Amino acid sequence: MTERTIAVDYLTRVEGEGSLHVKLEDGRVEHVELRIFEPPRFFEAFLRGRMYTEAPDITARICGICPVAYQMSAVHAMEQAYGISVGGALRELRRLFYCGEWIESHALHVYLLHTPDFLGYPDAVRMAKDDPETVKRGLALKKAGNAVMQMLGGREIHPINVRVGGFYRVPSREELESLRPTLESALEIAEETVHFAAGLPFPDAEEDYEFVALQHPEEYAMNEGEIVSSRGVRVSASRFDEAFERAPVAYTHALQSVRKGGTPYLVGALARYALNGSQLSPRAKSIAREVGLEPVVRNPFRSILVRSIEMVYACEEALRLLSVYRPPETAWVEPTGEFHGGVGAAATEAPRGLLFHRYQLASDGRIEAAEIIAPTAQNQKRIEEDVRHVVERSLALDDAHLTALCERAIRNHDPCISCATHFLKLEVERA
Amino acid sequence: MTEVPSERSGSGTPLVIGVGNEVRGDDAAGLQVTRELRPLVGDRARVVDCSGSATELLDLWEGQARVYLVDAVRSGGAPGTWCRVLVRDQPLPSSLAGTSTHGLSIASAVALGQTLGRMPGQLVVFGIEAVQFDPGADLSPEVRGGVREVTQALAEELGRPTPATTSRERR
Repeated sequence: MTERTIAVDYLTRVEGEGSLHVKLEDGRVEHVELRIFEPPRFFEAFLRGRMYTEAPDITARICGICPVAYQMSAVHAMEQAYGISVGGALRELRRLFYCGEWIESHALHVYLLHTPDFLGYPDAVRMAKDDPETVKRGLALKKAGNAVMQMLGGREIHPINVRVGGFYRVPSREELESLRPTLESALEIAEETVHFAAGLPFPDAEEDYEFVALQHPEEYAMNEGEIVSSRGVRVSASRFDEAFERAPVAYTHALQSVRKGGTPYLVGALARYALNGSQLSPRAKSIAREVGLEPVVRNPFRSILVRSIEMVYACEEALRLLSVYRPPETAWVEPTGEFHGGVGAAATEAPRGLLFHRYQLASDGRIEAAEIIAPTAQNQKRIEEDVRHVVERSLALDDAHLTALCERAIRNHDPCISCATHFLKLEVERA
Repeated sequence: MTEVPSERSGSGTPLVIGVGNEVRGDDAAGLQVTRELRPLVGDRARVVDCSGSATELLDLWEGQARVYLVDAVRSGGAPGTWCRVLVRDQPLPSSLAGTSTHGLSIASAVALGQTLGRMPGQLVVFGIEAVQFDPGADLSPEVRGGVREVTQALAEELGRPTPATTSRERR
């Protein structure tokens, strides 16, 4: 029997750290382990005993890259428990806030983390030496997203202006309008980004994903909607358990999320685009057509194109929201009536995919139990499948090239291991 | 693009950046320094907090004459000890590179800033040796001591018209 192991002890260009171990026996992939730690689980314990009003601020600190997502899932879950409905301008501000985070997070991944893979650079710094203009485009886009987050969040990282029911303070029309030139130029850069990404060399791959994303009847879902899948799931967040389950896995601190029955699924940009692509703006759709992007993308290497399309959409949508904005009469909605305790659950679309929160609350509003399921924990098992297939197709490569390809297979899904984990390592074992 | 001031043109209000995560144990060290420093320095410095993401740091420090950055590090030193590093045109010392708990590290920010010409006129990094980054944990007692000392050192440094130019010291 011959054995071969591929190991990456420290995965680079992913947010946070983790490791990959691949074992090959007699030319077959014996197993693939993506090992990650999962701070959300620590945060679940940390939240117990806190007031429901504290959850948006505390959970925002789980991830420096997508604090808005954590805040949005937290406030929606609390509002569901308290029976608060947030509509009109407050709802639109939240959507604008989310657009800012999508632009910011996608720009970081597309330009600084993912593009070096296609151009053969070890990192963005080396790429910047040869091609500073490309990196500068990415930084400019990211900065535009930050500007939106800062305006609404008070601070771009760990925003502090969000509260259950709305915001502590809402901007005036003039303040919001001041974002327009930045967003108009971001939209242009986002369009250039799609054309740039379309010219990258993509390895062949075809994965049979079950896509899972929020879906809303009237818009490309960000904050609200039902959880749907490409294989027929349709549930509200409060019925999440009917379709999905979490299983502890010995080699990782993260609980792996799977469909009932144990099959993996994929959340994130590919899933949103496959399930909701018809709801993108005409301009985003037309650019997608121009560059030949198929309506359902099953090649994970092409996810960079889908993220770029989503940036175009997020810039356009943000500009639209600026145009329609009229400051609301109150910055937040208070709960009414007596609260007897209960459970609130919500899912929103973090840049990396569905982010699920569920809280059990006592009658005084204290959190008795918290459950947070991050996108990367949901994608983990599916990423292992991608890695398995990449290795099976590329067994003839030497260890160094095979290892690099495995890393790329992981980075295709922009895993946020700082929220799914903290400290990444790749091992390919073969003999 | 904004002209980056040279090291000798160090005018303008210095910027102090505390880096860290409030709810990850000793990772809060940099943020605790900025909290304690604010009342001590008044308007002699602009004091801000940051998660430590490389791109955010570039946005914060680009065009600034003098920048002080405070972060928790793990470089193998005794808990709570600290170092002061004047960053010139070279990479961050290996003892500080890659020890940050944040996605794209401070070392990446320095390297990217140097490559793209987006460095401040002068950058001084204070690193406080951390013990643990546990979610929800308080600062370790030794790190608290380091926080006090760095706060004091920064307050003194900001009281002077120009910063000391020692390239690296460990206390």
